[in-house]
Amino acid sequence: MILANGKRFDSSMQDSILEGLEARLNETLAKPAPKPETVIAAIDALGRRAAEGAFDEQIAALQIDGAEQYKELAARLLRRDYLEFKVRTELGQDFCADSVTEPPAGLVKLRVLTRPLGVLLHIAAGNADGLPAFSVAEGLVTGNINLLKLPQADNGLSLAIIEALLEIEPSLSDYIYVFDTPSTDLAAIKEMANLSDGVVVWGGETAVAAVRRFAHPGTKLIEWGHRLSFAYLSGNIAEEELEALAEHIVTTRQLLCSSCQVIYLDTADMGQIRSFCDLFYPMLEAAALRHQPQTIGAVAALTLRSRTDRLEALLDPKTARPWSSPLCSLIPKEDSVLELSPMFGNVFVKPLAREQLLPVLRQKKQYLQTAGLGCNPEDREALTQLLVRAGVTRVTFPGSMSASLPGEAHDGEYPLRRYLSTVNVELKDSWDSEF
Amino acid sequence: MRARRKLFGHSDPYDTAGTEELFLTAARENCAYAYSHCPEYKTILDAEGFSPERLQSIDNLADLPFLPTALLKRRRMLSMSRRRLPVVVTSSGTSGNASEIGFSFGDLWAGLKMVLRVCRQRHLISPKPCHYVVFGYQPNRKNRTGASKTAFGVTLFTPALSRTYALRWKDGNYVLDLKAVQEAIVRHSRSRFPLRFMGFPAYAWFLMKQMDEQGIHVQLPKGSKLMLGGGWKQFYTEEVDKPVFYALARKVLGLEETDIIEFYGAVEHPVLYCDCEQHHFHVPIYSRVLIRDVRTLKPVQNGTPGLVNLITPMVCATPLLSVMTDDLGVLHEGCACGRRSPYLEILGRVGLQDVKTCAAGAAELLNRTEVSL
Repeated sequence: MILANGKRFDSSMQDSILEGLEARLNETLAKPAPKPETVIAAIDALGRRAAEGAFDEQIAALQIDGAEQYKELAARLLRRDYLEFKVRTELGQDFCADSVTEPPAGLVKLRVLTRPLGVLLHIAAGNADGLPAFSVAEGLVTGNINLLKLPQADNGLSLAIIEALLEIEPSLSDYIYVFDTPSTDLAAIKEMANLSDGVVVWGGETAVAAVRRFAHPGTKLIEWGHRLSFAYLSGNIAEEELEALAEHIVTTRQLLCSSCQVIYLDTADMGQIRSFCDLFYPMLEAAALRHQPQTIGAVAALTLRSRTDRLEALLDPKTARPWSSPLCSLIPKEDSVLELSPMFGNVFVKPLAREQLLPVLRQKKQYLQTAGLGCNPEDREALTQLLVRAGVTRVTFPGSMSASLPGEAHDGEYPLRRYLSTVNVELKDSWDSEF
Repeated sequence: MRARRKLFGHSDPYDTAGTEELFLTAARENCAYAYSHCPEYKTILDAEGFSPERLQSIDNLADLPFLPTALLKRRRMLSMSRRRLPVVVTSSGTSGNASEIGFSFGDLWAGLKMVLRVCRQRHLISPKPCHYVVFGYQPNRKNRTGASKTAFGVTLFTPALSRTYALRWKDGNYVLDLKAVQEAIVRHSRSRFPLRFMGFPAYAWFLMKQMDEQGIHVQLPKGSKLMLGGGWKQFYTEEVDKPVFYALARKVLGLEETDIIEFYGAVEHPVLYCDCEQHHFHVPIYSRVLIRDVRTLKPVQNGTPGLVNLITPMVCATPLLSVMTDDLGVLHEGCACGRRSPYLEILGRVGLQDVKTCAAGAAELLNRTEVSL
């Protein structure tokens, strides 16, 4: 299904729609961009509809654990006060008002306009439900025209959200185009990229590398790649804090950029690692028992894994692992490498004395995101600074690694800023005054 | 292995009801052989309190301990000395966690008889020479994957006039050369002899799409066939609707739906499942399929989805009598094609198919599909 100018078209119409697209885009670009206020009001109304259950059917069809929480979070993010706060935080007050520079005496003054990039192509990976619509919303608030290539896994939720938005605010119809082009149809995606000023890509290295290959070198790439996160524990940690970490590991199933893959202890002593496992494992298992998966595929995977592990332990008792059950496990390792865990409640525990923290983390500088820091209060500032210098972009408490923190940047950047450009216009008067 | 010989010599490959006794005896023989020749298998059976003599009725197959394919990937197990085995194949996992399955001469002989019987049903065996296009790996000493062997094996169904490979061995690497394949198709479309394709559906799809975009449409000679194997979710996250695929094959290659034949199988269960005219994978007599409850592992009734447990007495060199795949599937009865054996529908991989992730490297890890051919 394709959405263009507020109307649905069959996927087979793709090529003919693409053919006329440049002219349509130019027509729209010639007009003033929608005001942030218009977009925010529309999204706010959309959020109210979502809270009233307008998308319950599609959300239920996703069969995700924790759908209710997800809905609550979405409703909160779509509220006017939150959106205004986000815009203010990322772009400052009155970002769309023109200004004039105030240079030292004798230098020319310039007019400064903050303008949308123009046309954004969003290549949304299927890594979070509803994410494609969220990406488009960010493009809209900044006044861009948005071409959205839906992920293969999208079940119609994104399209339903976008259609509802256009129903609320039909004037945005010329600013959203949705395509369900498969990733294999490179020719079509390339054509969309050629029509765009910026390409926003969400996804793993394969997706990002593919975009870098086909996009024009001059096209701005806004890449939201995949990341790795970890917990860093030092000194005495309160039991509640560890329980919150266990809850985080189990509930995110370690699938998010911000999910804990490795628990680092500020030590070089494996003995301490083992005593930590003794202490932490019961908490992890209790959390895992509270949040058992319900989908048939996940249950089957656990049953199968449990059976395989049992048979393997029969054949080779050395493979039997302490701190392990089909639902979760702690995997102590002697190295300090930051790496992806086996996920689904299976987390690495590794030694990393603070003296080694920077060089070890720097080895994964391309992937660093969240550090869930648990430590004595007097160490907190020093360790935070150390983590920041190593390249971490979020420092949280262990239990809130994946919490959505209001006004936070995304992987070290404010996304909205990247969807805008700063344009300078020479002022005739100031030029004259120079000579 | 007398019962195995009889079973694999049985004339109707879908006469499940008529071969129950034979299958049971062959399974018992196979179980006894693995029990006395493979120490790991004995350890597992002993621990589960099962002995080969307990296979007295077809229902006892449910009690027979099964080996998860994941275990076969972690632990190499053989019932014969590796040096005596003419063929050892691996499942084509790139992670180093591939299973290694050995075949004896007897196993291969049984397999050959099976392939001939199953393929004759879809009129694939013919003395008329053909050109072949393989959407897969060019054979190479270094490539021991089951996929490359199967793809080559299929080109022996009829005398081969030529073989063109999509993945060519070049300077120590496989390179994808769809251009050469496309040229071969155009060239062979003018030949008097039929053209046959074999290999991954994703490549076939990609190539047909490319030809369609370039406006290249050919009418392949009568008797041409498109044979697919290796799963639909291979190299791209795209899953193509089968009717769309068939329509494109008609448009681009001039092939009818009945000329498109799909195979299913796994290195750990090397029985050939060939789809019928309704595109259903009927369970051939060489195999019994149990669908097991995802929590209790107890067998469920036909029509209920669960874990797919595949049983075959085909292989003696490796203890493959009963293996548990990591597929979810459902067994159906009654098909318009007239074959009486139930047919297996694969619903997808356990656990991970609905997973969405943004942890670095996770998508690659989770989507690491293995060629099950």
